Parts: sequence; structure tokens; C-alpha cells
Amino acid sequence: MIAKSKIFEVYEDSNRRNIYTVNLVPGKKVYEEFIAKQNNIEYREWDPHSSKLAAAIHNRCQNIFIRKNDVVLYLGSSTGTTCSHVSDIVGKEGFVFAVDPASRVMRDLIFNLEGRKNVAPLLESANHIEKLAERVSLVDVIYQDIAQKSQLDIFLKNINVFLKKQGYAILCVKARSIDVTKKPKQIFNDIKFALEKTLTIVDQRTLEPFQKDHMLFIVKKK
Amino acid sequence: MPAKFIFTNILGVFVFNENYKLVDGLLFKDLDQFDEKEKHEKQIEEKHGSLEKPSGDDLYKILEFFKDKKYLSELRKKNIALTRVSVKDSVNNDLLIIQTIDAVEELNRTINLLTKRLREWYSLYNPEVSNKVKDHEKFVSSIVQKKKDKLLEELNIDKNDSLGAELKEKDVAAILLLASQINNHYKLRSHYEKYLQELEKETCPNLASILGVTISARLLDHSGSLKRLAEMPASTLQILGAEKALFRHLKNKRNPPPKYGMIHEHPLILNAPRKNHGRIARALADKASIAVRVDYFKGEFMGDKLRKDLEKKIKNLR
Repeated sequence: MIAKSKIFEVYEDSNRRNIYTVNLVPGKKVYEEFIAKQNNIEYREWDPHSSKLAAAIHNRCQNIFIRKNDVVLYLGSSTGTTCSHVSDIVGKEGFVFAVDPASRVMRDLIFNLEGRKNVAPLLESANHIEKLAERVSLVDVIYQDIAQKSQLDIFLKNINVFLKKQGYAILCVKARSIDVTKKPKQIFNDIKFALEKTLTIVDQRTLEPFQKDHMLFIVKKK
Repeated sequence: MPAKFIFTNILGVFVFNENYKLVDGLLFKDLDQFDEKEKHEKQIEEKHGSLEKPSGDDLYKILEFFKDKKYLSELRKKNIALTRVSVKDSVNNDLLIIQTIDAVEELNRTINLLTKRLREWYSLYNPEVSNKVKDHEKFVSSIVQKKKDKLLEELNIDKNDSLGAELKEKDVAAILLLASQINNHYKLRSHYEKYLQELEKETCPNLASILGVTISARLLDHSGSLKRLAEMPASTLQILGAEKALFRHLKNKRNPPPKYGMIHEHPLILNAPRKNHGRIARALADKASIAVRVDYFKGEFMGDKLRKDLEKKIKNLR
């Protein structure tokens, strides 16, 4: 039995072990995920091992603040694993800008998300704000998952320009790509401190045991 | 109300007034027009007089204007078209070099694996050849070309003294089939190596002349592109490929830092006395770093000069 969970547009089965989203393009898989059918609605399993947002939900994140009809700026889309689920959540009326600077993964992304009418792929570095401004609109939610040393600066820059007021933003921090010599705890504390200067932190989740040394922050723009 | 702001995106050029209402605009029909956006901006600016580019709160309001169903679907169409073009344009010689060197390395691995099997297999029939001929390539080509009797004759071994068993014709044929397949692999590899040389002559002649074809291709493979390699400091280039040792050192300073990475396979280092390896690696990386920057900005060929400097420097080492 697949039923609604506490989070909007995310479903879970009766023993609460797996989470699902409704497949926007029935019959099409994006990665090697499991597909369940119930009452003629097709659900795609959301694998916490390959998606950090799903890992956060498994770690009892109460709300991911991505709702139906939202416009999302997705920085670091890679081949579109998490991106496809975000696209499922926002639905036909919503929209996702999928940004990635690498042409190799963008090639896969274009093929993977071909049928989805609500995703626009952008081959662009998230660091180039002026260039991004020419290609996106204002957004309701920003999701960022890039393994860069400067990921916090990029996040703040993008929030400043593209996020609407009172909008939410999600940041996946990979401690190992910021500094391998420091302790992850120290890095997360520094980031928390830097985020609190201009934003309100709503939620903070570790992604153990699915991802090592990762932390997911959810913030709100003042 | 007079027009105040001018804003360009992939949809077109838009003119807004103080209240962020659309006053005038020009929609781009295709991406070529977007490439010439400065020309179109000028045209519109002439019409309206002085216009300013929005920033801060003004940019916020204007971006909000595009957050609309109508514009979003247009943005999607244009973004897909632009992304498709830029994915297509992103293919360059760097990527070809990377794929070729990867193919060569994979062929190497396959050849080694298969040749080991062939030696075992062929030794049932004729162990003396495998024992005497140590070089893989020579071994494979000789058993493909010559029969058992002739091979033994060349090695001055009597036919009746051979330890090998007498196999049926079809059993021998099965072994030789594998041998001819490996032989083809060797041919393929030498073809790719020649091709790699040609590619590097076009893309990075200076780097190839200092480090050699294989090492420079491996460095390119490791860094991802010529641009990234050119942006690296020489000290990073020196230890490229020794990340494990580097991070071991960074985490615990008791471990010594690495002196060289992939660059160590260079003959100048390999043929030097052991105590000089680190010094030569540093000098080599310095020159390679200069060379790759010259290559990236399409400068003249100066590999010979750099190499001469390098050899002079190494001679002065004790």
C-alpha cells in the first residue's frame, strides 16, 4: 500500500521503508529505480543511496519546502537522478531549471529528462550569475548540490539574485570537498555560522548512513 | 512614464519603465540573434535614449516578471536549444586525446591479460618458445608467423627433445586463433599511438615535446582539459597522480609529501640517480607548466628551447 506521507507530493509504503513520487512520464525510468503501480498511478521509488534529498527525508526531515507548482533552480543537476524527482513533485504546472557545467553529464541529462515538459537543461557554471540571469527567471526554491570548495559562496550569490523573498533554499554540503584536513563537524559549524548572518536556518540534517560527511541545510530568505 | 531599464535574456531585449512595466521589446527568433545581442541592444538604446541595466532590487522585479507560465515555456524551448548547441560545441581535441589514451591503456591491460593466458596455453604444445622469448609482442608475432618445427630450429632445440605434447590440428588452431587476435590488438595499439601523436602535434606540441606523448596525454586525462591543466601551478602538475600520498601528508604531517606523480615515468627522471628524482621532477614540472600555457594560448613552438634549458639545469645537479 502506497499512501501519502507527511511531505507534500511524496508517498511512502505502509511499513515506511521506501518513499515514492508520482511518475510524471508514465512508463519511463530515469535511473535503475523500482516502479510500483497502484490504482493506475505509477510511482517511482526514490532511492536514498543515490539521492541526497531522499536521504534527508529518510533521516526524518519533516518538510523539504518544494511544493506543487513551484519554480525550482537546481544547481548541480548531474545526470538528473534527484532532478527527476523534483520534477515529479512540482508537477506539470511547476518548473525546474537544471544547471550543470559539465557537458558529459548534460548529455545524459538531456536524454534522461527528454519527456519532461517542466525541466529546462542549462549547460552553465553556477558561479556565473550574469550568464545565468539571461537564462532563468525568479524562483521559489533553490536546491544546490555541487562538490566545490566555494559551494557556500555560490549558494549565497544565487540566493541573493534568484530566490524570491520568503523563499526556501536547500544546500547539500560535502565537507570533504571544502577541506580534507579539517573535521567535518567544524566545517558544518562554520557554514551554519555563515548562513545565519543573512538567512534563517529552518532545518539541518546529516545524511548518515547514506552519504558520509554530508550535511543538508534548509534555509529561508528574509 | 519614460523607459528606464534595459534587460536582455535569451528570449529577447526588453525595456521596462520605473514601475517595472514592459514598455518596448524585441523577441529573438533564434539563437543567432542572441549571439548578436549587443547589436540589438544598441538599436533599442538609440530609440529610447539613455537606459540603464538593472541590478539589485530592480533586477529582482524584472526577474519576477519572467516568472510566468508563458515565459517559462519559452525559456525552456530556448534553453534546450542553447544547451544542445553548447553540448555539441564542447567536443574538442582534448576530449579526443583523453578517449584515445584511455583506449590505449585499456588495450594494454587486455593485451597483458590475454598474453598471459596464451603463454600458459601454448606452453602445453611448445613450452620452449615461451621460456626463451620473454618479450610479449615478439612472442605473439613469432608464434603466429612460424610453425613449431621452425621455431624450435631457430632456438637450436631438437624436435624430439621438446617438452611439449603433440596436439591435434584443431587444438593448435584454437590456440593460434587467440594469438592472432592478440596480434591484432598490438596493431591497433600502435595505430592509436600514432594517432595520438598527430593529435598532440595539433593541440599541445610544446607539452608533448617536453613530457613525451603518453605522459602528456595522461596528464590531460587526469586534469580533464587543457584549460584546467594550464591553470594549475607547476607544483600541482608535479604531483598529479599522487593524490593519495598528498592527502595522507595533509591529514597527518608525519607522512612525507610526494615528490612526483605521473611525471615520474619520464626517462629524464628514471635514468637519474635516486637522490635527484625530486629535484628533476620539480624542474620538469616547471618547464611543462610553461609549455602547457603556451599551448593553451596557441603560442609559437618553443619546446626545443625549453628542453635545452631543462637539460642544462639537470646537468648542473649533483
